[in-house]
Amino acid sequence: MDFGVLNDTTRCIGCRSCQVSCKNENKLPAEPTQLVGHPGGLTNPPQLSASTHTIVQCHEIEDAEAPGGLRLVYTKRQCMHCDQPACVSACPVTALHKTEHGGVAYDEDKCIGCRYCVWACPFGVPTAEWDSLAPRIRKCDLCSDRILGDIRAQELNDTTLPAPARKRFEESYKKPACVKACTTGALTYGRHDELLEEAHRRLEAEPARYHPHVYGEEEVGGTSILYLSAVPFEKLGFRTDLGTTAYPTYTATALGLVPPAVIGIGAALGGIHLLARRKAAVAREEAERKLGETP
Amino acid sequence: MTNHWIDLKNSDCVLIMGSNPAENHPISFRWVLKAKERGAKVVCVDPRFTKSAAHADIYARLRSGTDIAFLGGMIKYILDKDLIHKDYVVHYTNASFLIDEGFAFDPSKGFFSGFDDAKRAYDEKTWSYQYYSVDPNAKPDEMTPEQRAEYERIAALVAAREPKKDPTLQDPNCVYQILKRHYERYDLQTVSDTTGTPPADLEKVYAAFAATGAPEKAGTIMYAMGWTQHTVGVQNIRAMSIVQMLLGNMGRAGGGVNALRGESNVQGSTDQALLFHILPGYLKAPKAAQATLEAYLKANTPAAIGKASANWWGNTPKYMVSLLKAMYGEAATPENGFGYGWLPKLEDTGNYSWMNLFDAMYQGKIKGLLAWGMNPACSGANSTKTRQALAKLDWLVNVNIFPNETGWFFQDPTLGIAPADIKTEVFVLPAASSVEKEGSLSNSGRWMQWRYKAADAPGDALPDAEIMNLIFQELLALYKADGGALPEPILNTKWDYFHEGEANPHAIAKEINGYFLKDVTIADKTFKAGTLVPAFGMLQADGSTSSGNWVYCASYTEAGNMSARRKREESGIGLNPEWAWAWPVNRRIIYNRASADPNGKPWKGGIPVVEWVGDRWVGDIPDGPWPPSALEGGKHPFIMRPDGHAALFATGLKDGPLPEHYEPLESPVTDNRFSAAMLNPASKRYQTERDTVAECGGNQFPYVCSTYRVTEHWQTGVMTRNSPWLLEAVPQVFLEMSEELAKEKGLVPGDQVRVSSARGTLTAVALPTKRLKPITVRGKTVHQVGLPWCFGWRVPNDGSGGDSANLLTPCVGDPNTGIPESKAFLVNFDKLDAAAHPELALTTGRRA
Repeated sequence: MDFGVLNDTTRCIGCRSCQVSCKNENKLPAEPTQLVGHPGGLTNPPQLSASTHTIVQCHEIEDAEAPGGLRLVYTKRQCMHCDQPACVSACPVTALHKTEHGGVAYDEDKCIGCRYCVWACPFGVPTAEWDSLAPRIRKCDLCSDRILGDIRAQELNDTTLPAPARKRFEESYKKPACVKACTTGALTYGRHDELLEEAHRRLEAEPARYHPHVYGEEEVGGTSILYLSAVPFEKLGFRTDLGTTAYPTYTATALGLVPPAVIGIGAALGGIHLLARRKAAVAREEAERKLGETP
Repeated sequence: MTNHWIDLKNSDCVLIMGSNPAENHPISFRWVLKAKERGAKVVCVDPRFTKSAAHADIYARLRSGTDIAFLGGMIKYILDKDLIHKDYVVHYTNASFLIDEGFAFDPSKGFFSGFDDAKRAYDEKTWSYQYYSVDPNAKPDEMTPEQRAEYERIAALVAAREPKKDPTLQDPNCVYQILKRHYERYDLQTVSDTTGTPPADLEKVYAAFAATGAPEKAGTIMYAMGWTQHTVGVQNIRAMSIVQMLLGNMGRAGGGVNALRGESNVQGSTDQALLFHILPGYLKAPKAAQATLEAYLKANTPAAIGKASANWWGNTPKYMVSLLKAMYGEAATPENGFGYGWLPKLEDTGNYSWMNLFDAMYQGKIKGLLAWGMNPACSGANSTKTRQALAKLDWLVNVNIFPNETGWFFQDPTLGIAPADIKTEVFVLPAASSVEKEGSLSNSGRWMQWRYKAADAPGDALPDAEIMNLIFQELLALYKADGGALPEPILNTKWDYFHEGEANPHAIAKEINGYFLKDVTIADKTFKAGTLVPAFGMLQADGSTSSGNWVYCASYTEAGNMSARRKREESGIGLNPEWAWAWPVNRRIIYNRASADPNGKPWKGGIPVVEWVGDRWVGDIPDGPWPPSALEGGKHPFIMRPDGHAALFATGLKDGPLPEHYEPLESPVTDNRFSAAMLNPASKRYQTERDTVAECGGNQFPYVCSTYRVTEHWQTGVMTRNSPWLLEAVPQVFLEMSEELAKEKGLVPGDQVRVSSARGTLTAVALPTKRLKPITVRGKTVHQVGLPWCFGWRVPNDGSGGDSANLLTPCVGDPNTGIPESKAFLVNFDKLDAAAHPELALTTGRRA
């Protein structure tokens, strides 16, 4: 069964509970950040990374039709979990795979560090742990462990839950951590076909509220994450030039030929990165030394 | 909240003003959006286009500090167009009551009648109802039968203390006509000239909210610190209360006046009287002149006004004596006034609110401070004054879950006093956090909810109650050993909630509920000594019952811990009566008898809350068992008022019976269009050399500034700045400004700025935004800026976060509450040359 998440951005208040609960669920460290002084300054960390698998972006969009002439829109971004993922098809060793519940998951034991997935993804989602000598690929996996794993509800507080409570607990637990944390119901987890139906129901019920498009329904052949918005998606920084063809269709033939070359390129890039880091560290030390000398 | 969070979904119009719930009360927005899906209008009025404004159907911008002008205009709009809920207004409010003929408001002075210039205070004599009187020398026996009947009719009115009324609302001295006259000045143009809101926007908001005056509709207000943190804070809320009374929205599902409390348990701490002027359950704090229990009860037990008034506070003796029995146990006897003499007393004109305390501390009049679960170095207005006040103490006890700016104030780089010159001895006591102990908290909707311990506290950290116990035991031992002046209050305190030092939260919760101390028979039913009192209707004034807080009586009974209940409502309007417990007596909507007409039937077409069926109310727990007011033996619905009516015209406030617009202490304009007084004449001022004030309309500090919070940080940020994921999301203090102002100042995004006020300076990251726009007030451009107050110099400890926005705010406050005016003050700012002044810049790694 294919599951997914419907993100109705018209219901999002930008509280970032999803962002923080993702870090908590996946035990991801905080990044050192600075407040950059523009509307995006309230987007922090500024982009997805190896230690940030979901972020909430802030957009201020002028619109004479809107109350106050302004729309303040928050968009949670993460892996789109394509129906036919480019990253999966690019992976020479099947370290990435589309799971039965719709998420694209990653198996670090299989990964050879080629980073083909990074380059293949049309949304720029997978990130390598560039700071590590044995970098893993990190990204959202739609909380596969929560959904496919054993919830061990009976062990809660060392007591066996009565059946109705267990059912309620299962219902609230077996969904991605971000969806569970959503305060206003902007995020809905469910069967992909039902989410699509719900998305179209909302578009039809309140045409004035929505831009008439379900992002992810057809983009790159369809994705498990679906978006609704009040404004055209290009104004929210969503790529609208990706077409409706699944990416593996373009690449399947060529990719079969290259795996051995990839390993070499990956290693070379890793080396370049380490060198660049060292340079940056020296420069930083230099700058701090100079700052210290300033009267 | 008069209502509760879930009830927001029942509203037809949600006014968000003086609050930003999408940012600061995110869960509430779940219910706001549900209301919107039902077809409700969401209206947001704020100087800044907030996260809440982003979901509004109507947004109106106003200049910070002009809410009463805005709402005064709404009152006038409602009265002019006669959009009031007439039956509600006539029967349930004091609109028809006649006021003393001497009452007046003089716009040429800006005062209500009774103002004493020298004392900066009012005499309330003329703010009173007119009563009937009879000639004491009259001789009824000599009267004609007609004269005698009339005399007896009047004499009965005198005996029942019936105020004079005019139900036609035509008498020039009736409250309705006074209201009309008072707000005559608040026409659209004058309001717009003050608030800077275009008249068309004013009308849009007024029309949308006034539509809830229809009997089948209900509108609600969500307000928070955006209304309280002003020199007219209480009157801001009063203005909205008047709107809600005129539209018949009090006591209704989807209505009410809803204060969104700023902390998870601040409702609970208010109920338990962590304030100087009250005892638990909102009993008044004793004053020095009230030397005996009799004197206290005489001064604080109101007499009913009118025979159909329930006058609930008439029960004060039962609640006070039961409280004293809970405090002093068997030592409280009828002979010693139940130990009343051991309670501390306020000086008769004494005011021990926050700013007064820190003002006295700054002047060296206070020796020691327990800063418990607080961070005054960052949270109090005018931080430099607050921080220097800490340096005047002999000792400071800092109880917190993290090291904070208060406990380490002597290391503060901005303090201006060398650590060696500070004599204050600081004690740091680590406390357990809320999830490391069992107990209850009471949310904004008055729901007391039990919660369980999830983890052990780290290191030496202890639950607050156990820290208090250690201090109490030490004091007890000292008093026992050494005697000393007045040891009785300590020696006689009932203190049996601990076992081997470990607190028993159930014992404390039961004490708060209260016990029968003797066998007590009430209406043929005998309650055994030692059992828990089922409800406050059974509390006694003779010492046979105890209750640590009468409003919580019924929360923990022989049937169990009501606050631990977790049964969800399966159908209904969201009251969830078996989920946790709400004070009082599990009533979910206060004044709910006003949701029904005087015959007890729900207002036609509205959502029913209670209904009089046969001989009783069904639905929510009603405000008392009596029949509705039109029936035999009926009582008026506003039972906490001595007259049983909602007070359009109110006594008891220090700055007037009706809200009146005054400018903030620091205002960008130089005159008040509504009267000759710029500042609320009764506002609370301070005079130390640190209490400097900017000139209104001056060039030195031209911009209006507000402080506020962000979702990611809580209060001064002690809990959240120590949480890396939250600091990562909002890492630094920022100054929000319009793009127009940023351009004028030559700022590019990311520049750092030095923000200054008449009190202090602060570095912040400039954040130009489309959410703020210049406001035009009388042809003059007024710029609004704002910054969050959740930062402090100590954490993050590398100097990258910045410091508290309260370095800028003034010590001036509302005369009733003493809450400082941190939502409207004046600042200036300039680009910081970080290369020239690296010591002022917010740079990672600057300070180790």
